[in-house]
Amino acid sequence: MKQLVLNRRQFLKATAITGLATALSGSFKTGFAQGEAAVEVAKTSETKIIRTCCRACIGKCGILAHVKDGRLIKLEGDPDQPMTRGKVCAKGLAGIQALYNPNRNKYPMVRVGERGENKWKRVSWEEAIDTIAKKLMETREKYGAEAVLCTTGGGGNPEFGSVRRFASVFGTPNWFEPGAQQCYMPRTVCYKLMYGQTDMWYQTTSIADSEAHEIYFYKDTPMKTLVLWGTCPANNSPSQGGRAVVELRARGVQTVVVDPRFTADAAKADVWLPIRPGTDVALELCWIRYIIEHKLYDEEFVMKWSNLPFLVNTQTKMCLRESDITPGGDSNTYVVWDKKTQSAKPLPYPWDDNLDPELFGTFTVNGVECKTGFQLYKERCEPFSIEKAAEICWLDADKIEKAIKIYAQGPGGLCLGVATDQHPQSAQAAMAACALDLMMGYVQKPGTLLQNFGDVKFGDSAVSPLYKFISPEQFKKRLGGAEYKGANSWGSCHNPTVLKAIKTGDPYPVRVWLERSGNKLAVLGNASSWIEALEKMEFIVHMYMYPTSFSAYADVLLPTTEWLESDYVVPPLNMLFVRQAVTHTYETMNETVIWAKIAKRCGELGHQACKDSFDPAKTAPEQPYWNSMEEFLDYNCKQKLGMTFKELAQKVPYEAMPIDKWRKYYTYKEIDPKTGKPKGFGRPSKKVEIYGEVFITLARTGAPFTPHPLPPASKDYDPLPYFVEPFESPLEGSELAKKFPLVMTNGRLPYFHHGTLRNVPWLREIYPAPEIWIHPKAAAKYGVSQGDWVNVESQRGKIKAMAWVMEGINPGVVYMERFWTPETLNTDTHGWKEVNVNVLSKNDAPFNDVIGTYTLRGYLVKISKADGPPKGVWLKPEEFKKWLPEPSDPTPLKDKEV
Amino acid sequence: MSQRTMVVDLDRCIGCKSCEVACKQENGVILGCTWNKVLTVGPTGTYPNIQMYYLPTMCQECKEAQCVKVCPTGASYKGEDGTVLIDKEKCIGCRYCMMACPYGVRTFNEETKVVEKCTLCTQLQAVGEQPACVKNCPAGCRFVGDIDDPNSEVAKVIQKAGNENVHVLPDVGNRPSARYILHSKTATWKE
Repeated sequence: MKQLVLNRRQFLKATAITGLATALSGSFKTGFAQGEAAVEVAKTSETKIIRTCCRACIGKCGILAHVKDGRLIKLEGDPDQPMTRGKVCAKGLAGIQALYNPNRNKYPMVRVGERGENKWKRVSWEEAIDTIAKKLMETREKYGAEAVLCTTGGGGNPEFGSVRRFASVFGTPNWFEPGAQQCYMPRTVCYKLMYGQTDMWYQTTSIADSEAHEIYFYKDTPMKTLVLWGTCPANNSPSQGGRAVVELRARGVQTVVVDPRFTADAAKADVWLPIRPGTDVALELCWIRYIIEHKLYDEEFVMKWSNLPFLVNTQTKMCLRESDITPGGDSNTYVVWDKKTQSAKPLPYPWDDNLDPELFGTFTVNGVECKTGFQLYKERCEPFSIEKAAEICWLDADKIEKAIKIYAQGPGGLCLGVATDQHPQSAQAAMAACALDLMMGYVQKPGTLLQNFGDVKFGDSAVSPLYKFISPEQFKKRLGGAEYKGANSWGSCHNPTVLKAIKTGDPYPVRVWLERSGNKLAVLGNASSWIEALEKMEFIVHMYMYPTSFSAYADVLLPTTEWLESDYVVPPLNMLFVRQAVTHTYETMNETVIWAKIAKRCGELGHQACKDSFDPAKTAPEQPYWNSMEEFLDYNCKQKLGMTFKELAQKVPYEAMPIDKWRKYYTYKEIDPKTGKPKGFGRPSKKVEIYGEVFITLARTGAPFTPHPLPPASKDYDPLPYFVEPFESPLEGSELAKKFPLVMTNGRLPYFHHGTLRNVPWLREIYPAPEIWIHPKAAAKYGVSQGDWVNVESQRGKIKAMAWVMEGINPGVVYMERFWTPETLNTDTHGWKEVNVNVLSKNDAPFNDVIGTYTLRGYLVKISKADGPPKGVWLKPEEFKKWLPEPSDPTPLKDKEV
Repeated sequence: MSQRTMVVDLDRCIGCKSCEVACKQENGVILGCTWNKVLTVGPTGTYPNIQMYYLPTMCQECKEAQCVKVCPTGASYKGEDGTVLIDKEKCIGCRYCMMACPYGVRTFNEETKVVEKCTLCTQLQAVGEQPACVKNCPAGCRFVGDIDDPNSEVAKVIQKAGNENVHVLPDVGNRPSARYILHSKTATWKE
């Protein structure tokens, strides 16, 4: 028997490459003929193993897909993917049930009944695209291109760039993601402005966004401590970041978890700080105060490589330049207070050994009061003693101190998660987190999270934005663009401002909505507030893998590919892998092609920019639009790698950069041959700008994020993080708290990504309906017992959830995760009203001043015992049988109700 | 004698339930049945001084397997390597074995009317592969092998953990062979 036993690697070697060739032959010759791939595979009968990558979330997990007779039969991990090493989470493994879900959108369809009646007619792709393009052109003529709204989101999308690019080309400044201002954007903006531009476009400490690469080198990193603040890698990326954190802990790395709920990572932490939702900045300012008071910061680094010793004019809040103190002085050279001469002196880059700058102090320079950046931090943090922070944040003072000591021991870093992106202090929380790591000198050292590792040039936004196609006049019309200027870094508009425009026509009407993502009604704050807006829209297109609540309000439905049907380049660390179609079903199309098709048709109908977007001479140096995925990917692969996508797929795992060249430390100290000086950091001062002077200029002009200057925001952004009590406060004296006494928080589960996968039997069986975590004291007070159905109400609405009465949450806090129920799509609720926490969340002011973030966490609710589950919601495993995979034979062309 | 079994490192387990789905996919386990359920133990204690761990509950591969002893048809048996298996041809669905099992890790398939359980993925073992839950486990917390062989991975993992950190589900004379590793720093083992 023994000789028949092949080990895993041998088996892979023997089968993987041939599998690839068969699976892809004939695929994507044109964007409209993708079905051929499946036919080709069906001609063979042996099992092929195709190496691909998951996209059930935004991770990069390597997958081996077993395909037999053209049909996917099994998924498992790819041991060669360096971030995941053969591990796959429940979401990824359940991909087979998402792919073959009987409720897939199968063909393009147009509405034939009333909106919400769910009656559709199947049409050809040509007809669907033509219908959409004509409506777009008509709208542009009647109201202007800005009346067209384009949206996307993270759930299941092949990439993030297509919607932005289409908006530029069509000429509308209005596109958004429901995440963005509420997810990741606050961190990317603040880290870019403080730590600086790096080789990789984004460099935050987000493990969930596949950053913080140092953690994947757990075998040899000198990392000793890790703070997980508002994040749980075990939930957000079990097989990627979660796995790496497990390995770090197993090697003795101490962890601090700051999270209102007792998560898997909290349970394994050395210190768990169950912070009151919405008070993170108070705790961060306390940490900074303690670090300053106890001189725990990296003095050498902040002195020589940060702007904290720079003098700041306390009137203008701007840093002094040499030109401010010396006529004819250099306007790019900053000024410090020299101890030796007791005077303000210009500090030439990178350093002057003759100077002995003060890190702290208040000085008078030419009659003007100046303080160092570090002095301003010290004063800002002064009120936030450990005792004060404990009181504000509902924490134990001793545990706060223990946590800071672990953090300060290092080397390590503070991984800031999405939690703080979801309340109106988003930018301040990110500024403070970044400031902490920078003050500690946790930068570009072995063992720290903030790095400048190499860029292998394939990110989630390989679809280039073509910003030059949008005119300055159109750009300036971006809704919310002038007030929340941080958002211009991604180029997206402010969705509450869009909502107002749709409802009131102020400042102009928005009438057409092209949407690509899961369930907007499950992920937008205060979901009910969007219904009036949806009803006001003249035309709505929804493209997705399956119908969601949003589809009920649409006029055209387009079927998009699941990740198992799609192609892309995936860059884990220094390597390149590919996501590649392992089969194809019905008439689904990759959205990266759909947007190009719409642009092409608009061009044919007379839209000059859309026409030009296919002309390489007009788009240069960016990529012209494409007619197929193959064309899109080949252009990128040839330009960056000198090979086609198929050639790359055959070379996977492909080393894009040798690991020692990619994993580089202390890049700021490297000498720039052009200047003979150290390269420094990607900021104007070439130092880390912990004092955020640039936030002031951002508010006034939009620089450095806007291609065209914008009018000033209503007030300057604060260059330092500051704390304000949550608008819906549970504290004594709050009138609202008398009626709604509990603070709601959210957070990921390992079974779903955003609004996705609620239609997958294996996952719904595990978690059929959302739990609400309630402390036993609160449960007793409000008459709720373990397993009860509970009414949960805010000022904005009422839903139900199942009670998990448990000690892992503060008695004043409750927790729920986003949810909707596909099984009630064809009822009056359209599946978004029963158990959807975003019926309760808040999407009106106050917004974050820099970014425009609204309140998805840290608002007030009340609970009471309910009489039972919501009508029609499936709870028993057997009920999900209706969604088990069905044979994917071609369906005849006829009018069809779904 | 050899005894193939599973060892789970609960210091590593993050309760993500990847193993539940991996098992369903590999073994075609129907909705409503589980061979491999992950339980949450806790939180115990009083907020905020609490503990919690996850407990995957697969067949404990008992040396004196009660399920085998009570089976009236010989459908439940111990394989050569000690794995407890069910011959579905012989199973009459009487479910005595489910009553005899102290751990509730057997499940009745309403569609085929037979009892099912974890097989340690014998079909994968036959081609030199690890069980699906072991292969895909994000936390790398599962180990499989002959616990009676001191050179096996499972034996080594247990030895490394030290006796005081190795736990076993309650033994009522059935001598379960599966082992769980849990250090008191993570949480106190609950009997």
